[in-house]
Amino acid sequence: MVSINYTLIAQIVNFIILLWVLAKFAYKPLLKAMDDRRNKIVKDMDSAEHARKDAEALKQEYAEQLKNARKEANEIIAKANAEAQKLHDEAVQQAQTERDEILQSGRDRVEAEKRKALLDVREQVIALSTEIAGRVLEQKLTSQQDQAMIARVTDQTMAEKNN
Amino acid sequence: MGVAEAASTEIIHYGPTEIMPGVVINMQTIYMSWLTMVIVAAIVFASTRHVEKIPHGIQNLVEMFIEWLNKLMDANLGIEGRRMATPFVITLFLYIFVGNELGLMPSIVVHLSSPTNDVNVALGLSITVAVATYIFGCIKQGPKYFKHLISPFALMLPLNLLEELSKPLTMALRLFGNILAGEILLAVLYQLVPFIIPNVWIGFSLIIGFLQAFIFTMLTIIALAPIFKQDHE
Repeated sequence: MVSINYTLIAQIVNFIILLWVLAKFAYKPLLKAMDDRRNKIVKDMDSAEHARKDAEALKQEYAEQLKNARKEANEIIAKANAEAQKLHDEAVQQAQTERDEILQSGRDRVEAEKRKALLDVREQVIALSTEIAGRVLEQKLTSQQDQAMIARVTDQTMAEKNN
Repeated sequence: MGVAEAASTEIIHYGPTEIMPGVVINMQTIYMSWLTMVIVAAIVFASTRHVEKIPHGIQNLVEMFIEWLNKLMDANLGIEGRRMATPFVITLFLYIFVGNELGLMPSIVVHLSSPTNDVNVALGLSITVAVATYIFGCIKQGPKYFKHLISPFALMLPLNLLEELSKPLTMALRLFGNILAGEILLAVLYQLVPFIIPNVWIGFSLIIGFLQAFIFTMLTIIALAPIFKQDHE
């Protein structure tokens, strides 16, 4: 028969005993383990996220550095090229100048030699012709004025001859 | 009512025994209650014997229930309320769940019945819940907790008192009625059609057992909710 009796009180006591025993001996470690796990997972995910961000930042930094390095290398190469070009130009310029100088000096030397030779020839011609003329004229032409006159004539003659 | 009473008297045995003069106890109910306690304790202890970071075996199963109830409690009670109420709510759920299913198991050596098919057990549980609600309320809010009886104004006191009394009563009768009806019908079906049909009903009753345990637990959580809700506001 359905009736309320002392089973009610026995049941309440039963349930409280069960609750007390489980709460004291079972739930504490279990709930703690679950909490710990949750915390650990949250922490791990946090740290993973952190690590990912760090790695990304590092990657960014490296990419930046690589870019800078490449730019710098390009600059250095460009600078070196410019320097080399400059050196080359200078060398060419210098060589040109030197060549011109050498040529010029050679030409001058040749000119001088030529002039000297001409002078030598002239002197010899003068001497020779003087002597010849002297001998021919027999000491009539020994004075300085005579010599000069003869020289002038010789010059004229040579100039004419050269032409 | 007379028919149902007669049927329950014949089919369901509570085993009322007078252990002391004037003290009648339904021994069958008490034995089943003890068996339920032992099973619940065994499950919970088995799952906490070697608590591991990475759950394994039965720990997984119990943690699944706990996670599920925790989520419900988080939604209704908030974090602090959950911390306070978890052991109570989980024990309540496991006790009612195991108790509900116990009567559906085959009686091989001993006669198995659900402890929750006895109105004493159902009422005992719902009174425990009602008292626990007041205890939690007093721990959390102090004597201020009794103010909810005269809110929104003092004139509501009789209605509020009626509500406080009717809540455990309805909870108990819902649980007890469902389980008792299920067992009576099962016994009747066995007598009418010994094969297949009762098995279908057992399958259905297993779901009802879970559902009633869930409803009872959910109502408990809802009863606890106002205590912790005021904290949020």
